[in-house]
Amino acid sequence: MSTYDPGWATDPGASIDPTGRLPVTDSIAVQPLLELEGVSRVYGEEVEIYALSDVSLRIMPGEFMSIVGPSGSGKSTMLGLLGVLDLPTSGTVRIAGQDVSALDDPRRSKLRGDSIGFVFQQFHLIPHLSALGNVETALLYRDIRPRDRRQRAYDALERLGLAARADHRPVQLSGGEQQRVALARAIVTEPLMILADEPTGALDSANAAHVLEIFSGLGTPERAVVMVTHDLTVADTALRKVSMRDGRIVADERRVA
Amino acid sequence: MSQTRDLIGVAWSGLTARKVRTLLILLGPVIGVASMVGAVGLTESAKGALQVQLAKLGTNLIIAQAGGTFGSQNPTLPSDAVRRVDAVSSVTSAAATTNLSGVISIPVQGAATYYEAFPVPVRAADVNLPAVLQVRLIDGRWLDAADSQLHLRSVVLGSGIAKQYGYLPGETRTIRLNNTNFGVVGVLGSVPLDPTLNNAAFVTQWAAKHVFSTNGKPNELYIRTRNGTTQATAGAIPTAINLGGPDQVSTQVPSNVLAAQAQANKTLQKVALFAGLLVLTVGGLGIANVMSISVIQRSSEIGIRRAVGHSRSKIGAQFLLESLFVGVLGGALGALIGIGVVYLVSSLEHWVVEIGYGQIPIWMGLALLVSVIAGLYPSIKAARLEPLETLRLG
Repeated sequence: MSTYDPGWATDPGASIDPTGRLPVTDSIAVQPLLELEGVSRVYGEEVEIYALSDVSLRIMPGEFMSIVGPSGSGKSTMLGLLGVLDLPTSGTVRIAGQDVSALDDPRRSKLRGDSIGFVFQQFHLIPHLSALGNVETALLYRDIRPRDRRQRAYDALERLGLAARADHRPVQLSGGEQQRVALARAIVTEPLMILADEPTGALDSANAAHVLEIFSGLGTPERAVVMVTHDLTVADTALRKVSMRDGRIVADERRVA
Repeated sequence: MSQTRDLIGVAWSGLTARKVRTLLILLGPVIGVASMVGAVGLTESAKGALQVQLAKLGTNLIIAQAGGTFGSQNPTLPSDAVRRVDAVSSVTSAAATTNLSGVISIPVQGAATYYEAFPVPVRAADVNLPAVLQVRLIDGRWLDAADSQLHLRSVVLGSGIAKQYGYLPGETRTIRLNNTNFGVVGVLGSVPLDPTLNNAAFVTQWAAKHVFSTNGKPNELYIRTRNGTTQATAGAIPTAINLGGPDQVSTQVPSNVLAAQAQANKTLQKVALFAGLLVLTVGGLGIANVMSISVIQRSSEIGIRRAVGHSRSKIGAQFLLESLFVGVLGGALGALIGIGVVYLVSSLEHWVVEIGYGQIPIWMGLALLVSVIAGLYPSIKAARLEPLETLRLG
């Protein structure tokens, strides 16, 4: 009986360097989409708790990667920082070369809206809006005419096979359909990176497989897809797997498709 | 411009999505503005009605009453009081009445016990009394010179007494006044300037003297003056009547009472306005409270919006705009309800509708201001919400 082997090859240096810095050989002429450099995130004032400790990571265009680790390993903190929903206590987070800490909230929000598409475990759809309205939310405040906005949202839903459900509210949709609406909302802005938090966590196995299949197809040469999960099976569907423990990157593995 | 349109759309959909909650927070500005519009409208309409009534009745009627001396039971005026008053140049007409104390009026057989216990005032009146009062007869005729000359025992009923006696228009009715039969010849219309006349029965001065053996001295004089001289005449009348004698005379201008009533309505208006303001303030607290809870309930929505790129200021503006809509809608709805109430009550009370439309924008603006101030804290709270905390990642 053979054991499951996704064919991981450890990235030389990633698991050796305690700071998690990528080796110089990885730094090629292509600019990283997202770069964490010596990033720490500390919570608490009197008693400091290091959720992330001196982490460095580069995400390149076209990558399909997973960040995996047990509860408390710092995955969620990492997701917040990668998604520019949070700022590091120390270190630098760059998106397309831009230091996010140097931006004020409106510019940081714009950068987030333009560059990152989020998919959450609990779907996080706005309950009083239709599927179309939920997808349109990502296109608001972008000086897009309502008719064009609606058309783009509809096209995104159509791409995910939900055109017929455009007018349905979240409660009228199944879990798989809700997650696809969330996916449509994530891709409608044509972001540089899709950031998914346990994307199959609330789905049954059939829907989970379907969503993962869609995920693997979302990547483009310009776009990276990043999944944060504690599920190794889900993590293994990615071509790059970053493992975390106690707020540090402990392994950075790649496999050939 | 397009971003503003987006913001308006988002805020509007936030309000319409939760209809019950929206209705609840609308109550404050609606009731506040409605009560202010209603309070001012109703008091102005009532005042308008009083002014119309005053204009109809005239403000130039004076009632002169015998003050008597200390301890006197039925103080009287001199017998020629009307002539003395007529001598005042500003007086245009005057009529006297005399209270016939001890006269019991019994309208029907068998009612003696009741009317002996609760006697109806009987007055002797001059023939020109309705003319001086400017009141018409609602049935039959008033007492005239022929009644005195022919010694007819005629009686005219006040409108209230006619109703109490169950007198029907045109009915031939005889009532007993101290065991003497009197024929009802008419019913005097309502006298708003002296409602006591509505509950009296009137006989001629001849009957007072010869049937009830009075001394013919009147107790009260109703005096009309030239317009614009009423107050001065009222001051001169006591001297004109007593001419330095011992008789005490007091005068009153009944229209002043109505005018005072209008003034009292003004006070009521202020109280109602204050109450409206209080409701508006309490409504504002309600808005702040409900919207603060709403921010917590909608924290996931706020997190999603932040995640898709909406800035803190956009989130804050969204919630502030929702409060602003509440103020605008509540103010407009309140004004409409207030106007509706004024029209309804005025039509029921037969008042002339008086609505200060010029003041309505001020109250609506006040409702808007209160709503926006109330929405400030929840908006800031919403803007400051950390998306990471609301989205519960991982």
